[in-house]
Amino acid sequence: MLMEAVKIEMGATERWPDNVKLYQQYQAEQITFPDYAASLSVKTFLYMCGLEFSTVPKINAEEMSPSGRVPFIHIGPFLVSEFEPIVAYVQTRGFGLNDDLTDVQKSELKAYIKLIGSTLVNAELYLSWLVPEVYEKVTKARYGAMYAWPLNCILPYQKFLSVQKQLAASEWKNKTFAEVCEEVETCCQALNDRLGTQNFFFGKKPTELDALVFGHISTLLTTDLPRNEFADIIRRYDNLLVFLKRIDAEYFDALRNSY
Amino acid sequence: MEDNVLHLDIWPGEWDLPSVDPNCLAALAYCRFSGVPVKIRKSCNPWNSPNGTFPVMTYKNVTETKVGNIFTYLRKQNWGIDSSLSRKECADVVAFSAMIDEVIQPAVLHLLWIDNDHYSNITGPWFTRHAVLPYKFVVSGRAHKEAKRKVFESQGTDNVTAADVETKIYKDAKDCLSNISQKLGDKNYFFGDQPCSLDALVFSYVAPLLKAPLNSNQLTNHLRIHCENLCFHTRRILREFFPLTAEEMAEKQKEEERKKAADSESKEGKIRNRDMLIAGAFALTAMTLYAFSSGLVNVKIFDAVDVEDNLLDA
Repeated sequence: MLMEAVKIEMGATERWPDNVKLYQQYQAEQITFPDYAASLSVKTFLYMCGLEFSTVPKINAEEMSPSGRVPFIHIGPFLVSEFEPIVAYVQTRGFGLNDDLTDVQKSELKAYIKLIGSTLVNAELYLSWLVPEVYEKVTKARYGAMYAWPLNCILPYQKFLSVQKQLAASEWKNKTFAEVCEEVETCCQALNDRLGTQNFFFGKKPTELDALVFGHISTLLTTDLPRNEFADIIRRYDNLLVFLKRIDAEYFDALRNSY
Repeated sequence: MEDNVLHLDIWPGEWDLPSVDPNCLAALAYCRFSGVPVKIRKSCNPWNSPNGTFPVMTYKNVTETKVGNIFTYLRKQNWGIDSSLSRKECADVVAFSAMIDEVIQPAVLHLLWIDNDHYSNITGPWFTRHAVLPYKFVVSGRAHKEAKRKVFESQGTDNVTAADVETKIYKDAKDCLSNISQKLGDKNYFFGDQPCSLDALVFSYVAPLLKAPLNSNQLTNHLRIHCENLCFHTRRILREFFPLTAEEMAEKQKEEERKKAADSESKEGKIRNRDMLIAGAFALTAMTLYAFSSGLVNVKIFDAVDVEDNLLDA
């Protein structure tokens, strides 16, 4: 029954309609860099699949998202938010990047995606919300940028409390900054070693992992913050740097030229 | 306390496991795999533990309580078990460990500490029975609360309900178990013939799922049906690294004898009851007979007609 319903649905709509939209906050003024990293990962993934979409900036993108997190895509009647669900959804539409992988490789792929989710994402949240310098100078101002007083004080504080709660649950809140750096270093080391000198993580073709790594690492590397420890760590890993350049050249140069 | 021996305090075992707590199992397995000179103390008194529970590792002046930190510390002391792995394999260990912590841990916590049946019939009572006063009254409640915090709050936003979270963590955990099972394949251990830290971590979550007396649940069923190699993996580790010591053997035998004794006692009890009944009945008959024969009780039988005549005469 379900399969039939899906088939009918697939037949009725195009595989990939023209008006797919990706929602996020305003890039230049508003978005905080953990959100930007997530957004960039999804965009890279869609570019890698060769799918067309347009980015729509919204002040309240976070409140619009079904799971409360950005980015989310609007495709036909569906709203899908966050990286993993989007990847899974795009796969049900018949576009996927991991069809050629063996079962073992697929499970490794899942493991590395979880590694990014549990290490880099938490580290980004820690850096932007729990490191006082960064919170006061950058995050607070950006998160409240689009609102008038007093909302521009209340909303960042609310978000701060919720991030704090989330990090406490995953035992990151009580870590010192040095410990967080160590976690990032372990993660980068693992990614670097796994990548080796290959073009992509699983050989010659890109997968969703490549998109995710690119999104997060390049954001950490290029965002200008009062604390640059993470960027310094990443610069020590040559394989990763070469990898970033390769993806940038392959998927983003063409884009820049087309403007 | 001698200075150059590592001490590891853990919750004691039950259900054929060396310890009932997944974290203790992980630390213990790592120590066994690496052959660290370690002194294991099974304790029910978390007085000295900095966070009020086990495992606690103490070595010289260092005290560690979290599994990840214990692993890292031992690795730094060159007691690692991952040193024979290639860099790529080490990277895989890091990634799979992250996946297990992120996905399997919440599901196991939910199953053991939040699921009402298990919390109020198995895990809760176990800790209440074993921990010393005053921890009896604190430990299980605290673990329940802690588990709730870890499972629900790390999922973040308010837009998701508890039921959604439960469905999601169990589904993810099943997928994750399948992935791990794929990675293990038909090898003895994840990377060759020697166990590594990933084996310790997988063992620590799979063993309680298989050995604890849980009700029928999706995770154990999934393991038994779809991930047979993980079941073998756990049994292999239990057999090779946790053979019962002479004392434990003796204890187990004693336990069995006690059980048998209890059984036979109940049989004897039945026989005794029957004997008492027979003796009682015999005594009662004998006494009644004596009463009649000695004239203590006199039964006279009148003729109905005589009685009527007597009444008329009167």
